[in-house]
Amino acid sequence: MGGSPWYNFFRFRNLTRSSLVGLAFLTLFGIRLSKGSIFLDTYAFLSRPFWPGSAQSEWIIKGVQFEQEARLKLLEEDNLRLRKLLSIQESSGKDYIAAAVISRKESGWWQQILLNKGAFEGIGPGNLVTGPGGLVGIVQSVTPTTSLVRLTTAPGSRIGVWISRTKTHAILLGIGTNRPLLRFLDKNPDVKSGDFVSTSPASTLTPPNIPVGVIQSINTESLNAATGLLQLTAAPQAIDWVQVKTK
Amino acid sequence: MFFILSGLLIPVIELCEPQFLKLIGIGPCWIVLWLLPWSLEAGTLNAIVAAIFYGLILDSIHIGNVTQIPALIALAFFWGSLGRRSSPIQRSFTLGFLAWLGTCFFGLTLWIQIFLKNGYLTENLFNEWAVGVLLTQSIITGFLAPMICALLISILRGRHIL
Repeated sequence: MGGSPWYNFFRFRNLTRSSLVGLAFLTLFGIRLSKGSIFLDTYAFLSRPFWPGSAQSEWIIKGVQFEQEARLKLLEEDNLRLRKLLSIQESSGKDYIAAAVISRKESGWWQQILLNKGAFEGIGPGNLVTGPGGLVGIVQSVTPTTSLVRLTTAPGSRIGVWISRTKTHAILLGIGTNRPLLRFLDKNPDVKSGDFVSTSPASTLTPPNIPVGVIQSINTESLNAATGLLQLTAAPQAIDWVQVKTK
Repeated sequence: MFFILSGLLIPVIELCEPQFLKLIGIGPCWIVLWLLPWSLEAGTLNAIVAAIFYGLILDSIHIGNVTQIPALIALAFFWGSLGRRSSPIQRSFTLGFLAWLGTCFFGLTLWIQIFLKNGYLTENLFNEWAVGVLLTQSIITGFLAPMICALLISILRGRHIL
């Protein structure tokens, strides 16, 4: 019994050693409670020389053009609708903060990206993150110099979207694959493959009409409501720079 | 001390995710590659303490509310017991098999948590993504284990093989 490691561990013959272990545990719990603030900030500082440059490949530029054209069309429609309601919602480029992606996990159990800007820049949990092509994800947690973003493809991601052509609303659910699931509110929604999907104006969590993707397929044989698969217009695995929409 | 400090590199490697070691976009389970030699050599108690330490750190740098700690504790207990009972484990196949088995178990616990916490996913229990991640990660971890774990075991035993 006396030689058992458990016995040796719990008999506290050496107060200094047990105090150090306790202190280490307290420190680690502190790290856990602060969502790894020390680690993430240190990582951001150390990886600074390796942050991606501003140059993007050609297809990303095409994605930006596509996004801008789609956004322009949606904004015009939205502007017209809002003018009719005499309650114009102002938005400006000042609300966006450009940030570099310094760590990415896009295929495994965790689908997240880490940005090099955080609370010091005014970013907070719930902020929308867009990249070339459209919506990338939503900020999950922030440290002073970094932001952890949950990608739209991640399981647990839920975003309100709509198809502006028919004003059909749906919920975008991350299922882990590159193509998230669209769950419509109706059994037979008036949508078809190829319809453009953007964030819903009815959502209180996200700004309206941010491009999300294009419907790839629709399944109307689901039990409660129709579902569909969405092809995202922004590819998180290749994006080096994103924009964070602060509230 | 060197070995403990090497463990602190695990969160950094998790964040860096070296692209050249990825298989269809999925990297190995680095904590398994570190915990396996540590458990085999340092015993159950030290392995469990290390599992809690690094589990807390890794949980803090990942999104969502799934935890890796229970799986790591179970693996530390299993591998720690194995290291004490049997003759020294150092054969490549054995290390690879243990790492493969451990990664499967580790992934399974994450899969169950993710599916239970996201009710809509249970409609399609054998989601192609989850199966793909589980198999890919376990395979690449199993292949890397003979190299990385054998190197770490040698360092732990004080051999200078480099």
